[in-house]
Order: sequence, then structure tokens, then C-alpha cells
Amino acid sequence: MPDQNERLLRCFSSVFPTLTEEEIENATAESIGIWDSLSTVTLAAVVQEEFDLEIDPEVLPSLNSYQAFREYLITR
Amino acid sequence: MKLIKALKIVQSPPPGGLRRLRILLACGFTPLHLQTFLQANLRVLMPNVLPEIKAGVFGDLIGNIEKFKSSEADFLIVALEWSDLDPRLGIRRLGGWRPQQLSDIAICAESAAKRIRSALEIVSRDTTTILSMPTLPLPPAFATRLIQSSPQELQLHRIAGQLCESLSASPGIRILNSQAMAEISSPASRYDINSDLLSGFPYSLSHASATGELLARMIENRTPLKGLITDLDDTIWSGILGEDGVEGISWNLDRHSQMHGVYQQFISSLAATGVLIGVASKNNVSLVQEAFERKDLLLSQEDVFPFEVHWSSKIESVGRILRAWNISADSIVFIDDSPAEVAEVQTAFPEMICRVFPKSDSAAILALLRDLRDLFGKPVITEEDMLRLRSIRTAGAWRSESGAPQTPSDEFLRSAEARIFFECGYRSDNRAFELVNKTNQFNLNGRRYSESDWRRLISDPSEVLLTVTYEDKFGALGKIAVLLGKRRGDEVHLQTWVMSCRAFSRRIEHQCLRFLFVELGVNRIIFEFAPTARNGPFQDFLKSVAGPSLEAPVSLTKDTFSENAPELFHRIEVNVNA
Repeated sequence: MPDQNERLLRCFSSVFPTLTEEEIENATAESIGIWDSLSTVTLAAVVQEEFDLEIDPEVLPSLNSYQAFREYLITR
Repeated sequence: MKLIKALKIVQSPPPGGLRRLRILLACGFTPLHLQTFLQANLRVLMPNVLPEIKAGVFGDLIGNIEKFKSSEADFLIVALEWSDLDPRLGIRRLGGWRPQQLSDIAICAESAAKRIRSALEIVSRDTTTILSMPTLPLPPAFATRLIQSSPQELQLHRIAGQLCESLSASPGIRILNSQAMAEISSPASRYDINSDLLSGFPYSLSHASATGELLARMIENRTPLKGLITDLDDTIWSGILGEDGVEGISWNLDRHSQMHGVYQQFISSLAATGVLIGVASKNNVSLVQEAFERKDLLLSQEDVFPFEVHWSSKIESVGRILRAWNISADSIVFIDDSPAEVAEVQTAFPEMICRVFPKSDSAAILALLRDLRDLFGKPVITEEDMLRLRSIRTAGAWRSESGAPQTPSDEFLRSAEARIFFECGYRSDNRAFELVNKTNQFNLNGRRYSESDWRRLISDPSEVLLTVTYEDKFGALGKIAVLLGKRRGDEVHLQTWVMSCRAFSRRIEHQCLRFLFVELGVNRIIFEFAPTARNGPFQDFLKSVAGPSLEAPVSLTKDTFSENAPELFHRIEVNVNA
């Protein structure tokens, strides 16, 4: 799991380069002003590429925080 | 490139002082990751510029092109897809695919293509435009099985093909080669329907990456190489001339040596587009002459200059060819079937591209030819390209008659029957742009221009653009010099002046200055001079007419020029394009 967390952090950091590791771990779409619909799409694309998986478009709206992405990856 | 890497590159802070490269990316879909990949690839390919990419209004590709103004960007990139020709060819619109509707789609596509063509023809006059034709598959809208082309599909492909073909003739438009795209992005994996439905971005990540890479390479527009030096035995032909004899060497299917014929055919096509071809072969000179008289040889003796055929080292031959061409080693490719000879030449000329001719591997030969095409390919073939070899031969004849490297005497110059043609204000001249951007030795300041900057500059009516063409009794050198400056009262401020090194020692440069003083009626020329690592010949010339100090601003009065200029013997003709 630590490796998975690290990779997910890297994904988030590529989309939100100004956030610290701690800020990323607590990030939600609501708490971060720069997290817009475009960021969600880009995040999903980066995560899909990094973890070689396909995120169901219907699940995407619920992936609205770092923790949500993390839990999604654990269930996969 | 992976998206995460592209994002990192785009976000990394650029070094200061970079020249901005402004690009408008026009596409009917949201540009999203394509913009990221394009920017990342440009940052990697062109580390000396800072790309700034703007996207047009989402969903209105044609409107974006029609509203485009040349002051907005240095490049316009158009990523066309079928849905730009008619939205019903995309998945995001539900306009119907019944047969009557398909006929209407074709009519609308035809009219959209016409609008795109006329808009791009206007834009590309001032702004270099890169066009990517539809890369995504057509939707399953047609009545035939997928393996069978329907008339409507063929009609749509004809419309796209005609649009592409008609635009390809415009000098300001570069069209992305669909074959090059297919090689790095398989058509079956280009479309991402989920992404299209979700965000309006239809490209899979791999296709966005491939498209971004190719578009960036189209913008980079690498300067083509100028000359190729080739071996003969087991290269131009199969066999060893000295052992097999003139009739024993071959390049045909019967003798399993067809690829040598393909290589000859390829070299001949390069020569026809102005690439210099030289031969460096350890061989018997009379046998080589005899071999080149064979009627079935696809490479003419006329296409090759010079022939270095003897038993001395290849390094010596290559050095002599470079001197005859007066071209630096970094513009040359050397080809030989012997890995040892290739290694030897590579060591002596590290900046030269040296390749082994893989004589027994047809696929490798084909791959080599593809590489060479990429290295020598040029956006357009100019008249000067066709003249280059003749011009080099002429320069060679001049050198041997004039007693070079000594300065030619007045008597010799008078007898040369030289004619200089000055053309003033021919602003669509592509050769002028090419000369300015590739000339090093006789160059006022080493300044280079992007195509858009150059077009913008010369479209300013206050700029004086002068091009110079030369010929004498030894032959024509073609268009060899370009001057660009601004007239201010009785002064000319010269900001660009280049002259091909082939034209040295003919006093053409003096005649250029005389032209400015006499024909423009000015009393002083101000030179925007800057020393560069390679413009020594220009510095020497400037000192000879303006005095030893080259501190800015360097200026020259008409009286000083008259005192310092040598006697000139050229016949002058002037053409002015108002």
C-alpha cells in the first residue's frame, strides 16, 4: 500500500503542483479552490494511466477527494 | 510521453529570458490533454523558447480560424476532426444517420470544407499554419458493413482529401502526414468515447501524446541537411568494381541487389531537390567513369560533385568535398558500407551524421532511406534548390580561374562579365527567409527569425527588402544575398544582411552598399552589427569599408565608402515591386 499511496500522491501533485503532501492527503473538491471539473478529468486520466485501469465514468463524480481516490484504488 | 510526465514538464519553471512562442490551438473539441502534450513536447524540443498555447472557443473550429488575427500568435494549429465538417459525424450530437441525413451531412461537409479552406488561405498568408486532418474514425453511421466503404464515407474522404491537397500548395501551411501519425498512433486506439462523453475530449491519452509530439515537431521545422557523401562499392551498387568489373556490379532483382537500385533512385531524387551529392570511394578512377556511363545506372554523373575517387583515406576525401561545397560538417551525412571507414570519418568529423550502409539487410536499407528523407526533407522546393549544384560547380570554376585563395585581380573581375540583379520589395520571396536563417559567415548580426516574425516584418511598408541575384560567364549563383532595413531621412538602418559564402570575392557586397547609397539616395548606412562566433568574414569586410572599430553603432557615410571601395565591374539590373 505505501507504494500505491506514493504513486497516488505523485498523481495529485502533477495536477495540483502547489499543494504540499499534507494538503493533498486532506484535499477535497470543496476545500480546494483550484479543484474544478477539469482537474477531476485530468486527475482521472493521470490515475488511469499510472495504475493502468479504467475508471467508470459513473464513479467519477464520487471521486471528489484524495481519500475517495485512495479507497477506490483499494477496492480495485 | 505519459500525461504525468507532460504535466511535470509544463509546470517546471522555465529559465528566464526565453523568447515567447505564441500558438493558437484551434479545435472543435476541448483541447485538454492535447494542449498539455503539445506544450510539454515543445518545451523538450525547443528549450530556447517559451511556448504559450491558447485555445479557441470550444465547439467552433471554423469560427476560431475566421476570427484569428495574425497579431495573436506566431503559429496557428488546426486539429480538424470529422465533427468539424458536420457535428452529426461526432457522438455528442444526435442529428440522425438516416440515408437522407447522410446525404445532407455530405453537403454540409463540402460547404464547411470550403469555409475552412478560404479561412486558412487568408490566415496562412501572415501566420504559419499547421493542419492535422481528421484522425478519429468515422462513426458507424453508414449502411454498409464496416469492411465495406459506403459511397458517403468515400465522399467524405474525398472532401477531406481535396481540402488537404488544395491547401498543401500554400507556402504558409504545413499538413501533418497521416502516415507518420499512423506509425505512432494506431487508428484503432485513438478514440476514447468515455472521455468524449464525459469531458468533450475525444482522444485517448496515447493518441493525444502522439498528436502533441507530431504537432510540436511540425512547429520545430528542423533545418534540412545540405549534402550527402556516399561510397560506391556495395553501396551505390552491389559488388566491388575493381574485382567484379563494370558489368559485374549490379542493382536489380535478378541479382538480388535491387535495394542498391532503390538507393540510387533515392540519391537521384535528393539531387533533384538541391541536396549536394559527393562520392568518396577507394577505387580506380577510370573504372568508376566507365561504371557511370552504364545506361541503366539511376544516378547521373551530372548529379554528383565532386567525385573523390582514389586510394587515399576517406577522411581526406571528405575534407576535400567539404571544402568544395564550402559547407560545415554538421550539415552533411556520410554513408559507407564499411563500419571501420564510418568510424574513422565519425572520429574526424564528430558533428557529421555518419551511417553504415547495411548492404545485406533490405529492411535496414529502407529504414535508412526513411531516416535520410527525414533529415533532408524540406517544406517547399525553391528555384534556388534546383540551381544549387550548378552554382557550386560555378563557384569551383571561379576559384580555379581566379587563383583563389588569393583575391582575384581587377583584370579577372572585369573579364568575368558579372551581372547583379537587385530586386526591391518582393515580399513573398521564400528564398530570402531561408537565406537569412541559414547564413552564418557573411551575416550582419546572426539574427534569426521565425516565419511569422519574418512575414510580419517584411509586410511593414517602411521596411526596405532587397534581394540580390548574381551570374557571370562561369554560370549563375542564383539568389545569394538579402538586405533588410529601414529608411530614416537620408539614412538606412540595416538590421539584416546576409550573403551566401559561395558569392565571396566578387565584390557583390560592395555593390550592395553602392546600391543603397545611389539607388536609395541616402548618405549614411547604420549597421545593426553584432559579432558572432562565425561571422568573421563579415567583420573583415565591415572593417575594410567602415574602419577598424566595430563598436556599436557602426555607421558608414557615402564619402567614406567611396574612398574605401574598390573598383566595381558588374552590370546592374534593378526590379522594384511597388
